[in-house]
Amino acid sequence: MIKKYKPQITLFHCINAFDNCASLPVSTGGAFELKPVKMACSSMVKDVFLLRAFEAGADAVAVFVCPEGQCRYVEGNIRAKKRVNFVKNLLDEIGLSGRRLSLHNVECGDTENAVRILQQVLSDINDMGPSPAK
Amino acid sequence: MIVGKQKSIAEIREIVLPYKKLLVLGCGTCVKTCFAGGEDEVATLSSALRLSFKKDGRSIYIEELTVERQCEDEFIREAAVAISKNTAVLSLACGAGVQAIARRFANVPVLPGVNTTFIGVLEKQGLFTEECLGCGDCQLAVFGGVCPVSRCAKKLQNGPCGGSRNGKCEINPDTDCAWQQIITRLTALGQLDNLRKYNPPKDWRTSHAGGPRKLVREDHVI
Amino acid sequence: MKPESPSNLQRVLSDGKFAVTAECGPPRGADLEIIRRKGELLRGHADAVNVTDNQTAIVRMSSIAACVHLSAMGLEPVMQMVTRDRNRIALQSDILGAYSLGIRNILCLSGDHQTFGSQPDAMNVFDIDSVNLVHMVKVMKTDGKDMSGFDLVSSPRMFIGAAANPFADPFEYRVIRLAKKIDAGADFIQTQCVYNLDRFKEWMRLAREEGLTEKVHILAGITPLKSEGMAKYMAKKVAGMDVPDSVIKRMGGVPKGKAAEKGLDICLETIAALREIKGVHGIHIMAIEWEEIVGRIVETAGLSPRPVTA
Ligand code: SF4
Ligand code: SF4
Repeated sequence: MIKKYKPQITLFHCINAFDNCASLPVSTGGAFELKPVKMACSSMVKDVFLLRAFEAGADAVAVFVCPEGQCRYVEGNIRAKKRVNFVKNLLDEIGLSGRRLSLHNVECGDTENAVRILQQVLSDINDMGPSPAK
Repeated sequence: MIVGKQKSIAEIREIVLPYKKLLVLGCGTCVKTCFAGGEDEVATLSSALRLSFKKDGRSIYIEELTVERQCEDEFIREAAVAISKNTAVLSLACGAGVQAIARRFANVPVLPGVNTTFIGVLEKQGLFTEECLGCGDCQLAVFGGVCPVSRCAKKLQNGPCGGSRNGKCEINPDTDCAWQQIITRLTALGQLDNLRKYNPPKDWRTSHAGGPRKLVREDHVI
Repeated sequence: MKPESPSNLQRVLSDGKFAVTAECGPPRGADLEIIRRKGELLRGHADAVNVTDNQTAIVRMSSIAACVHLSAMGLEPVMQMVTRDRNRIALQSDILGAYSLGIRNILCLSGDHQTFGSQPDAMNVFDIDSVNLVHMVKVMKTDGKDMSGFDLVSSPRMFIGAAANPFADPFEYRVIRLAKKIDAGADFIQTQCVYNLDRFKEWMRLAREEGLTEKVHILAGITPLKSEGMAKYMAKKVAGMDVPDSVIKRMGGVPKGKAAEKGLDICLETIAALREIKGVHGIHIMAIEWEEIVGRIVETAGLSPRPVTA
């Protein structure tokens, strides 16, 4: 019996931008499976972590960082943006589509927006289908 | 330092395709500093390769290892066990490192994962520039510490060509004209007279033109 | 030509006459007729004709071959030679060969970088630079030796030219560089096209101050403009070219059909002004793919007929 496919999203989030995964309506029994990864600052996201999330079966990876100009560590979110762009290109090169990876500036505590973003990511996955490297 | 750039995933895929078990071998010296082949790049490239093969329904076993320097035997030895367990090595070192590994392990294919580009410096975060061609007869004393062999697109020894404009080289507005820099620097040093002197044709024997070079230090040969 | 006889260009200049040289670009092909046609257009209007050496790094018929074709027509060539494509061995050998074929003038250049040309993927040479080349030809001529110091059986006695660009940077160094070329052995200098007369005059003043105009014949470069577009293109895209806005404006100030006439006016004014500058011994007309205009320029400028020196 083939297991029923359920889209999997890995969420890297800077705790200064967003730290309320429990409040997300998708944690249990939702339309997709969410794997949150907490970071003390978004600059901690490394290229290889993003790729390994895909290796671990993610259909999409989202990165939540603070709005530009509001990083506690000055430029962590800018670094994160540059890395995400680098890995997006890499994913395109591999043929996995850079669209599966996205970065979002999230105002601290704005759960509503977080939910909206994840829904958008989910709808993108539905467009693209499951990751071909699962 | 030696500056290099990782090859594209497509090209690397192509050259590793025949091998089932691959050691991706990084080097922790120059190529690490220029983000081409250190530990982080080994990890990222390995992951990207695995994803790329998986996507096509192929499988490849990849082992990751980074040694301090691939151009020195002492460090190369540390890779011996890992190399023996794999069918090929993808080296992320400069061309010297790749060949040092190949020379050491006669029966293992050693493949380059990096394009070695130049001897240069980290000018500022994320920017590397070429500084030296290893001509074997350094004349920087005459030229105020700016090299016309490596940094002038025409290797001119007797002053700027007619294309130097606003401090930039005729070949590219993003490239500084070495001769403008030489003149600016010698002016500041009060040594502009250096440039009135005729510089005879360069003797290229000491450069690569004389064939592959060797350095023997008798005092260190046992 | 007798082996020892000096070139026509050399005689015109040493007679103190105002010299005229013109440029002729060889074809991108093996067609002799094109050279002949261009040669005919220039006949009688120039004391010598410069033949470019794979100019702008685009492959063309070799300079030596085209020079020989012009010689055969009775025109005197100036063989341009760049160090971009040949190492010192090839350069020397080609100079010996060229001289044996009757070529008496050489213009020593480093050459445009190949990234501009049709084959940017090519390897360049730049074994020696243009100043070294001047020196090499000079030693061949006066000492009868090649670069290795070997005594040549018969030495090429070329009239040696070099280029100068008064409009490139750094300006302060341009005159020092000119001095170096003269010391290395240059007999004559052909300059980049002059549109910015003020800067050219300033450069000439510095050259006179250093006593350089006594030691070398300076031929000022002239290129007639055909259109405003060409002026703009030269200003922006051609390395080392200085076309002031005032010139571009003048070209743009007339209806399209009249632009070439305006270009000719500017060209004649420039020539008149150049003739007034002490130390300018001639002009070098580079009418790029517009050789038919050369005769008119020379005649209207009052530089016709050309002296007969033989
Ligand atoms: S002169 Fe030679 S050794 Fe010195 S910096 Fe230039 S290329 Fe390197
Ligand atoms: S512009 Fe300057 S750096 Fe470029 S080729 Fe000419 S002299 Fe060399």
